[in-house]
Amino acid sequence: MATRGEFLEKIRREVRRAPGLFAASPAARPDRPTEAAAAARRQMAERWPEALERFRQEFERVNGIFHRVAGLDEVAGVIRDIAREKGARELVAWAPGELGLDLRPSLEPQGVSIAVAPTDGRDDARRRHREAAARAPIGVTGADFALAETGTLILISGAGRPRSTSLLPETHVAVFDRERLLETLEQVGVMLEALHADAERSMSGGVISFITGPSRTADIELTLTRGVHGPKEVHAIFVGTR
Amino acid sequence: MTASPRFGERAAVALKDAFLQEALEIATTKFIGLRKDSFAGFPEGEGLRDQARAIKEATLQKLDHYLEQVADNVERLGGHVHWAATAEEARETILGLCRDRGVKMAVKSKSMATEEIELNEALERAGVTPIETDLGEYIIQLAHEKPSHIIAPAIHKTKGQVADLFSRELNERFAADPEVLTAAARKELRQKFLQADMGITGANFAVADTGTVVLVTNEGNGRMVTSLPRIHVAVMGIEKVIPSMTDLMVFLAILARSATGQKLSVYTTLVRGPRRSGEVDGPEEFHLILMDNGRSRQIAGALREALYCLRCGACLNVCPVYRQIGGHAYGETYPGPIGILLTAMLKGDRAVKDLAHASSLCGACQEVCPVGIDIPRMLIALRHRLDRERIAPLGERLMFRIFGRVLASPALFRLGAALGRLAQRPFVRDGRLRSLPLLFGRWTRSRDLPPLARRTFSERWKDLA
Repeated sequence: MATRGEFLEKIRREVRRAPGLFAASPAARPDRPTEAAAAARRQMAERWPEALERFRQEFERVNGIFHRVAGLDEVAGVIRDIAREKGARELVAWAPGELGLDLRPSLEPQGVSIAVAPTDGRDDARRRHREAAARAPIGVTGADFALAETGTLILISGAGRPRSTSLLPETHVAVFDRERLLETLEQVGVMLEALHADAERSMSGGVISFITGPSRTADIELTLTRGVHGPKEVHAIFVGTR
Repeated sequence: MTASPRFGERAAVALKDAFLQEALEIATTKFIGLRKDSFAGFPEGEGLRDQARAIKEATLQKLDHYLEQVADNVERLGGHVHWAATAEEARETILGLCRDRGVKMAVKSKSMATEEIELNEALERAGVTPIETDLGEYIIQLAHEKPSHIIAPAIHKTKGQVADLFSRELNERFAADPEVLTAAARKELRQKFLQADMGITGANFAVADTGTVVLVTNEGNGRMVTSLPRIHVAVMGIEKVIPSMTDLMVFLAILARSATGQKLSVYTTLVRGPRRSGEVDGPEEFHLILMDNGRSRQIAGALREALYCLRCGACLNVCPVYRQIGGHAYGETYPGPIGILLTAMLKGDRAVKDLAHASSLCGACQEVCPVGIDIPRMLIALRHRLDRERIAPLGERLMFRIFGRVLASPALFRLGAALGRLAQRPFVRDGRLRSLPLLFGRWTRSRDLPPLARRTFSERWKDLA
C-alpha cells in the first residue's frame, strides 16, 4: 500500500515536470465570506418577492408542489390535508427547535401521530427514530436555503435534523420562510464559504443536501419515473409574515 | 455473453443489432436535445464552461497541494484517507475494511471509479455481496452485463427485457411498465439499504478547502448509501479534487445541464465526514480512497487534458461512432471519445491500438464538453504515438509513411496524382469511385469516394493566374 508521503511525492514530481496548458486560476472567492454572506442577505431582504416567484416556477417545473401560507399557525393545516390525501396516520418531523414549530399539539388530536427527531443521538432513540422514518409516509423538515434559480431546497443535517426525514418517506414536506431565499448558485457558494469560515459552524452537520424535486430516473427506456429511491412527492410550504 | 476480443468484430455485432441501433438513436438524440435546450436558455453557460476549464487546469498545476489539503480536512472531520497508487491497492483497501469490520453486504451508488477497478468481482470473490442501487446499474448487475453509457447504463435494454429479468430474479411476475419495474426495484433495494453494513460510492468532486466529498444523483441512492450503512467508503480518482466551494458552484451549474439537460440533478450531496454527535443517521466511519491508477503519469503527459473530465457523458451522445456502436463495443470501462483517452491513461497506449481509430475527428465531442477538452487533438497525438512506438500494424505504418513522403514532395505528389488518375479509370461509375480492389475495397464496402479530378487545383490555378 502506498504511503501518503510516497504518493504525494510522485504527484509533486509530475506537477513540477508539467509545463501547464495555459495560465489559470480557480474561481475568485469572497475575501471576507461572513461579510459577503451578510451582504447577500441584505440584498435578499429587498428582492425576496421576485426570488420567491422564481422559486415557485422552478420548483413546479421539477414537479414540486408549492404552498403558501400567511403564518406559522397555518402550516399544520396544510400538512393535515396532505396527510388526509395520503391516508397517513403517522409522520416524522425535525425536532421542533429546528423546524420552527411543534406539529404535535395541532395534529395529534386529529389522529396523526408524529415522531419527532431526537437531538441527543442516544443509540436507542436513534434506532427508534430510524424505524419510524422507514415506516412513515410523510417527513417534515425545514430548509436552510431555498434556491430560486433551480427550485432547490438545501438542508444541512445535524442534531434534530436527520437526513432520513427528507429521504425515506414517500412524501417530503419542507417548511421555509423568506429569510431562506437565495437567487443564484453563486450566492449559495458565498453562504457555504461563510459556513466553513466560521470555525464552530464548520464542524456542524455531516451532510448538506441539495434537493431539486422528487427522486427520479429514466433508466428504463428513458421513461421518466418518480420516486425510485427517495420521495415521490416534494412539497414546499412558504410561510409569510402577516 | 462473450464479447469478441477484437474491436472491429464487436463493432460489427453492434451494427447488426437492430434493437441496439434504435435504442442508441433514440437515447443519444434525446440527450443531445435536452442538453441543447438547457444551454439555450442559459447565456452564462459559455463563460462558466471557460471558467470550469480554467479551474481544472489551475487545480492540476498544484494538484499535490490540493490533495494534501483535502486529506487534512477529511481527517479533521473525523474521516480516514487511504492512498491507492493502483487499482489493486484500491481494491485491497476496501477488502481489508470488509474483513476487519465483518462486512457481508455492501450497497453501491453508481461509480465509474469502482467499475474501473472491477470492485464488484473482487468483493464477490471475498464473500461480500455488492448491490448496485442505481436503477440502471441494478438492471445491469442482475443481467450480469456491463454498463453501456456513463450516465444511462442500461439504455440497451427494453422494458420487456427488464420485466423478464426482474420476474426471474425477484420471483414475482412484473408487467413491462417502467412505473411498475421502478416500484419493484424501490421495494427490493430499500431493504438492502437498511441492512447493508457498508455503502460504497465514487465522488463527482472533493472540495479541498473543506474536505467535502460531493455526489450527484437523480434517484437518491447516493443519499441512501451515504446515510444508512454504518461505514461509507468513497473511491475517487485524484483528478476530482477542486479548490473551494465557490469552484463547486461553477461545476454544478454546468454538470447536469451537460449530462441530462437538468439545471441541477435532483440530489447533490455534500458529505462532510462521518455522523456528528447528536445526528440520527450517517455512518460511524467515513473512508476516502484517493486513487492514482495511471493518472499521475499524465499530469506531465500527452493526456493531461483528459484529467479535466467530469464524466458527464455529453461527448458520447454526439459522437458519430458511439451513436452507431454503443458503449459495449468499446470493450472498456469508459466508452466514447473520452473513453478512448481514459483507457489509454489507465492501461497504456497498447490497449487502444484499435480504439484510437474509433473517431472521425469531427470535433463534436470538444464542442459539447463542459470543460472544453480537446479530444481530437489528443486522439491525433495518440495515433502518432502508436505509429512511432510501432504499436500500429505494419501495413498501416507503411501506408502512412508512403503517404507522408508523397505529400511532403511536390514532384512525388504530382506523379502520384497522375498515376492515381490513370489507375482509377476502370473503377469510376457515374462520377464516383464505388468499388476498389484489394485492401482499398474495405473503404468502398460501406461508402464511395469522389475520384481524383482530371486536373488538380494548382494546374487550374496556373491558367487562371
